[in-house]
Amino acid sequence: MTVLWIMVVVLVVALLLLAKLLSGVLGAARSITPTVTAIGGVAAAGSKDLDAVIALVTTQNYISQVVAGLANYGGSLDVALPDA
Amino acid sequence: MELPVAIIILLIVLIVLALAVFLLATIAELVKINRGLAAALPLVGELVSKTAPVNGVLDAINGTLVTGRDLLEGLALKKAGPDGAGLVESCFPGEGAKFLRRVGASGAVLPIGEDYPRGAAILNSLLGGTAPVPAAGSAPAPAPAASGASPSEAVPGDGRISLRDKPAPAAQEPAEPGRLSAKGARPWESSAPAAEAPAEPGRLTAKGARPWER
Repeated sequence: MTVLWIMVVVLVVALLLLAKLLSGVLGAARSITPTVTAIGGVAAAGSKDLDAVIALVTTQNYISQVVAGLANYGGSLDVALPDA
Repeated sequence: MELPVAIIILLIVLIVLALAVFLLATIAELVKINRGLAAALPLVGELVSKTAPVNGVLDAINGTLVTGRDLLEGLALKKAGPDGAGLVESCFPGEGAKFLRRVGASGAVLPIGEDYPRGAAILNSLLGGTAPVPAAGSAPAPAPAASGASPSEAVPGDGRISLRDKPAPAAQEPAEPGRLSAKGARPWESSAPAAEAPAEPGRLTAKGARPWER
């Protein structure tokens, strides 16, 4: 009989412990859901912002033209100024 | 049935029920997470695809800018000689030493253009004049960063920066202090040898201007 009462106590403690642990797992899973939703929103906004990346090609062309003009200007200085 | 046995059976049923409820709720949340990640995955793929060409474009831009920098450094080295590092330092603080390392030279870097309008000192020196008068309220000329400075980098006691070993002839000094004078300093106005004309007029050639290309 004593053994049976001991089993009852053990089962009660196990039930409480199990409820606490499963509650923690469920809370963690519920906290992930809004984060995933936010990641989706941020990724969408970032993807939209990156539409301007194509302007880098225009920038590259402009920089090439600027450096070409700079080279021409340096050529003029090379002719105009005496060497050291 | 004895009372402890009944209680044990009841507790086991409660444990199984708790397991079922909590695990089902957890599974439902995991399904929501899976759907959210499935929705975010294509957007992340867009990010990857849109940023993929950035490295190549930026490398090309950097290559073009490095080419322009090399051209200007070659020109500075050819025209300003040992003062080229000071010219670079005055325009971009901290870059004079790097310039020296790139061209394989050594020595002190004396910034110019801090006491005078930027570029006026070196241009005036190259055109044969003396250093212009510093602007009012400007700080005195900085001391050389290290020993071993060339005579052309010496700083006189009055705070002026002299970019030449000896002062220019009196005829070439500007009539008004602080004004730039190009009189008699251009190749066609002096007996100095004219700069070698490039193979293609208007084009800069830095070939042979650097120590490792000589």
